[in-house]
Amino acid sequence: MVTASTLLGVAMDGLAFGVFLALLGVGITLVFGLGEVLNLAIGTFAVLAVLVATLVVNSGMGLVVAGAVALVVVALFGLVVDRTILSLVYRSDGEERILLGIFTTLGLTVFLDGVLINYFPSRYTLPLDVGTVSVGGATLTGSSLIIVAIGTVVLAVLFGFLRGTFLGKATRTVFQDERGARLVGVNPRRIRTLIFVLSAAVAGLGGLVFAAGSAVAVSNGFEFTTFALIISIVGGVRSLVGAISAGVFLGLVNQFANFFVGSYVATIILFATAIVVLLARPEAIS
Amino acid sequence: MSSRPSLGTEVRNVAIVAVVFALAPLAVLGSSYYESVLAHLLLIALFAVALNIVFGHTDQLFLFMGGLAGFGAYTTAILADALAISAWVTLPVAALACGLIGLLVSYVSAKRNFTVVLISILTLNLQLVFSEIFVGARGITGGSTGFPYEYFGLEVVADAVGIETKLVLYYLVLLLLVATLGFYLRLVHSKYGIAFDAIREDEVAAESIGIDVVRYKTIAGFVAAFLIGLVGAFFARESGYILPGGFTFIAVDVIVLIVLVVGGLRTTMGPIVGATIIVGIEEFLSSAQSLQTWRSAIFGALLIVLFLYFRQGVVRSARDVLSDLGLTDEPEGGGTDVESR
Repeated sequence: MVTASTLLGVAMDGLAFGVFLALLGVGITLVFGLGEVLNLAIGTFAVLAVLVATLVVNSGMGLVVAGAVALVVVALFGLVVDRTILSLVYRSDGEERILLGIFTTLGLTVFLDGVLINYFPSRYTLPLDVGTVSVGGATLTGSSLIIVAIGTVVLAVLFGFLRGTFLGKATRTVFQDERGARLVGVNPRRIRTLIFVLSAAVAGLGGLVFAAGSAVAVSNGFEFTTFALIISIVGGVRSLVGAISAGVFLGLVNQFANFFVGSYVATIILFATAIVVLLARPEAIS
Repeated sequence: MSSRPSLGTEVRNVAIVAVVFALAPLAVLGSSYYESVLAHLLLIALFAVALNIVFGHTDQLFLFMGGLAGFGAYTTAILADALAISAWVTLPVAALACGLIGLLVSYVSAKRNFTVVLISILTLNLQLVFSEIFVGARGITGGSTGFPYEYFGLEVVADAVGIETKLVLYYLVLLLLVATLGFYLRLVHSKYGIAFDAIREDEVAAESIGIDVVRYKTIAGFVAAFLIGLVGAFFARESGYILPGGFTFIAVDVIVLIVLVVGGLRTTMGPIVGATIIVGIEEFLSSAQSLQTWRSAIFGALLIVLFLYFRQGVVRSARDVLSDLGLTDEPEGGGTDVESR
């Protein structure tokens, strides 16, 4: 018989995994909602952050510095991708732009994986070394607690930015009506750049959060991307709240399925959920 | 974009391809390595023909080719072993099962008016489910250690004719390719081809003149998935060993997409030209030790550049160049029974 305290521990880990999923989901949702580009390279951005952070840690810096440097590097990389590849993609529109977005970001993933694997052949982790915490008889993983705290703060800040600031409002204007935004003097291209850079950093944070608990290899990049896709399908590809709730929900589902029936079935449950949602309400994503 | 050449020209081209590839093993002087490369080339071309039918002609982006091919290969082998019968009997069953999966996906997508993005995401998810099952269902698939794949009794033929088993497989695949191209030509030069073009141009308009959009898309989905499942079994037979890693998204779908776009969407020769170029590049990369580890990076870059700048493909570009130079034997504007955009 499984005790309640064990279940609480599993739930906490599930919540931490959920934060990771939510961050990736938010990353893909922001960009698709704004510019119809489905960023299939998002998982690789997450991996890139882990690799950069590992390099910084190895050079003797602390974990916090490493995380900050990693996020800045990934954001800059996002800026380069936006200015080069995406500029070309945004030239076309409608269905063609969506297809081009898929293919070029897919190409980017394959390209980056191919480059990175030459320099980072093994698996990397960024352990937080905080041990476990005992709460009411339940043993909780310390890193999970920290991850959930970081995730909550970051997502709250993101929401504050989109709701409260002028830039955030401009962003939501473009979300809703691109022409209307243009008419009131908002430059959609600029906003897209800003949001793409932001989404790259958010995905990077997702990667760092994941690496706190498990090892990350270059080949995980595409797997992360598929997680992000699943979240955006289940949550609705234009809805941030949807992405966050889907992330947390599936994180919990996955962790419990992992605990009770094993990881292979858990992963299939994840994909099956996405397929069912896709078939049940395709309008959420188109 | 230029129009499709006449049926006569296309049949002649296919015949040339058949002769060239029938003689190709002579050119490699019995090197069993290069015979493998040639067989691999033809198998990739076959996958690309299937993708051409479903994606090129009806805009349904199937991103679970690896999964379907694997499903075909595993099902053929597992059924043959379980029932202790020849893989020749189980192959059509497996291919049919793949076809039905494709049919179902296309039917549901067409019924629910899925956009190309939705279909691609749906099939990508299915691809990952397939991959998980190939690795995870250890009891049936052997998991990530796989099992030897030596079905179809090719050794018997090899002994009887007095040639290598590899060559028997090669000619078998060549036969399949020529037959598939023949079928493809019949398809696109028939009312199906016209309906496909109409649907691709404007689905609503096609519907309004009485074209059953759901039916045609479903047929395309079935045909492509059936072919992919069929080819999948030979794909595994060619390596002699089946592993889940051989049927991943990156290993199959990405390569086949590049092949089709390099060669040219909606052209008959595109899949073969594309496969020749891509397998050529692969061989060049693996010949140099220093380049081998960069294979994936180079293909990724290729995918980006191709889609941004070269979506019309080699076949159409070559045709344009030839007609600019006045070197083509196609009468201007004539002999085209199917206009493509």
